[in-house]
Amino acid sequence: METLSAFLTIFTHPELLLLVGVGTFAGIYVGAIPGLSVTMAVSILISFTFSWEVYPAISLMIGIYMGGVYGGSRTAILLNIPGAPSAIATALDGYPMAKRGEAGTAIGVTTVMSFIGGFIGIGVLALAAPLVADFALTFQPRDYMLLAVLGILLVGSLSTGSLAKGIFAGALGIAIGAVGRDPLTFTERFTFDLQIMEGGISFIAVMIGMFGVSEALLQLQHVNSTAVRQKISRIVPSLATVRKHLPLSLQTSTIGVIIGALPGTGGDIAALMAYDHAKRVTKNPEVPFGDGAMEGLVAPETANNASVGGAFIPMMTLGIPGDAVTAIMIGALFIHGLNPGPMLMIDQPDMFWFIVGALVMANVFMLIFGLTGIRIFTKIVEMPRSVLIPLIMLLSIVGAYAVNNSINDVYWMLGFGVFGYFMRHYGYPLGPVILGVILSRLLDDNWRRAIISERDDLGRFFEGIFASPLSLVLFVAVLLIFVSQTPVWHWGKLHLFKKH
Amino acid sequence: MTTPETSHHDGTSDATPSGYEANRRPGEAGFAILMFFASVWLLWSAYGISGFESLSAPGSVPMATTFAMVVTAFLIAHRTLRNPRAIGETLSKDIVPLTVIKLVGLLVAYAILLQTLGFLPTSALFLISAIKILSRRSWGFTLVVSLGSLIVIWLIFRIVFTVLLPAGIVPEAEIIQAFRNFVGGRG
Repeated sequence: METLSAFLTIFTHPELLLLVGVGTFAGIYVGAIPGLSVTMAVSILISFTFSWEVYPAISLMIGIYMGGVYGGSRTAILLNIPGAPSAIATALDGYPMAKRGEAGTAIGVTTVMSFIGGFIGIGVLALAAPLVADFALTFQPRDYMLLAVLGILLVGSLSTGSLAKGIFAGALGIAIGAVGRDPLTFTERFTFDLQIMEGGISFIAVMIGMFGVSEALLQLQHVNSTAVRQKISRIVPSLATVRKHLPLSLQTSTIGVIIGALPGTGGDIAALMAYDHAKRVTKNPEVPFGDGAMEGLVAPETANNASVGGAFIPMMTLGIPGDAVTAIMIGALFIHGLNPGPMLMIDQPDMFWFIVGALVMANVFMLIFGLTGIRIFTKIVEMPRSVLIPLIMLLSIVGAYAVNNSINDVYWMLGFGVFGYFMRHYGYPLGPVILGVILSRLLDDNWRRAIISERDDLGRFFEGIFASPLSLVLFVAVLLIFVSQTPVWHWGKLHLFKKH
Repeated sequence: MTTPETSHHDGTSDATPSGYEANRRPGEAGFAILMFFASVWLLWSAYGISGFESLSAPGSVPMATTFAMVVTAFLIAHRTLRNPRAIGETLSKDIVPLTVIKLVGLLVAYAILLQTLGFLPTSALFLISAIKILSRRSWGFTLVVSLGSLIVIWLIFRIVFTVLLPAGIVPEAEIIQAFRNFVGGRG
């Protein structure tokens, strides 16, 4: 009964409903406007909503997240510019459809499929999370440590071609998270005897710098690019079209949920894998893939929205983010005094069910806003970048300042913004930095707990890993990621699986 | 087959950061070497926390992570130096064009002036300069767009989000009070 009441909170409080609606609407535009990203929006938003009650703040952020994952598809279809990383695969067939004069159909199918995928993801979240949380109670500190390492490694290895750059970025994030006084012994770490370093570096300043300012600086190189207008045809897709693609959408939703639920992988990877899956299983598409195949839209769009529900599973049950946005969401929950993990699920199940309810509503709003207002939308996304970029920069500064009313946070934010700008240019992924910062404390605490319980004996620590099936699986997964990026793996594949 | 516009393969996406696998972009080698030496320095600093005192000491995770940074930074630098230069790219055109330097300069100036001048005048100066530099449109357009958006941002964040911003030389509290009195019909 309490579960139902918590789930229905969003439906019975008009102001929360309004915030989810506003968030979803804003998210669609944030996701769609090139130069704005969901990670940027949510990280800036944390700083403005930290003084709010937790429910309204979470309502707004969930709306932005859900809307943002979907919104990227709009510009992918209309302008061939994926507004968000999760819409990269959508552009491959969406834009050719728009060029054929079927932009409306493409947007309609995308919206309905995103809605279906979103619901499947939320359904799996509602069913699986309580079970995972129960299971997570049996986790040892070393399992948490291994999971955190696995998450950072996965983001690092999947988001770029170079694992070395991914590991570097993740390790840098953990080091940034360790700056300040050690919470257990009050020993100073990386403070360089500077008083301003003792309190640590605000993770919000790092996030806004890396995702706000660095992205805005990069966009300066495309300040003069102009948008190409497309003719909008019928938007709401026919029932026959939806029914025809339903089996594929169910398959790719499953891919989306699983990829989303893996610590460290999000909608962008889910969408690309689903696209690849669609190419393999669709024997005779009406139009070839890459030239405007409907299946090429259905697959990534169901998968990336299904991954939203999936990404909440490790976040809510283990406190380990599914992707960069959920890493920021965890930061938001920290700010509101909540500590995501199995204990949150047990002590405050109402929070979990509230989030599920908010996701459901965000999904419904996404469908409504997705099928309406396309003409106004095309006008708004044509907002010149010469105006947009200074505004993003202004919001970034205000956001960094607002959390602690500290000008030092603004300097940190600018420093990380410029640093992130060079990292992006030279192919270092930023996702692992944020995951590292967020997971630094969890990793440090659990490593020390694990090794203290083994009396500081590394041999006993590894014995423990080999004695526990879960620890062993996690350890092997970590090892596999390492080995898969080395020449040994390619040599092994060549020699072991060579066809004779 | 149509591929997405290249602007989304230049690092504006988390999924596809920029950088080339087989080529070295301008300044990349310097950046990689800088990262290596910075990592060594951080490792030295991490060693200073508690040395090799014990595996559960406060410096153990910082040492492990900075050691990982040193190793990977070395590998990255080694690979970067071996790669041939990317053809047709220059540091001033593709990595740090003048516009980027100008905007970073404006951001630093903004941060320095924020507490002294206050949010409204500093933001107005920043927006007017940045939009003028980027759009190269008339002063009329620049002033209307800059000041119009600043008013909207201020109303949203000061009134809706109740964010406290440095007032500086502007009597912000008095203005808000006057506004409230006016809205409440007592002005």
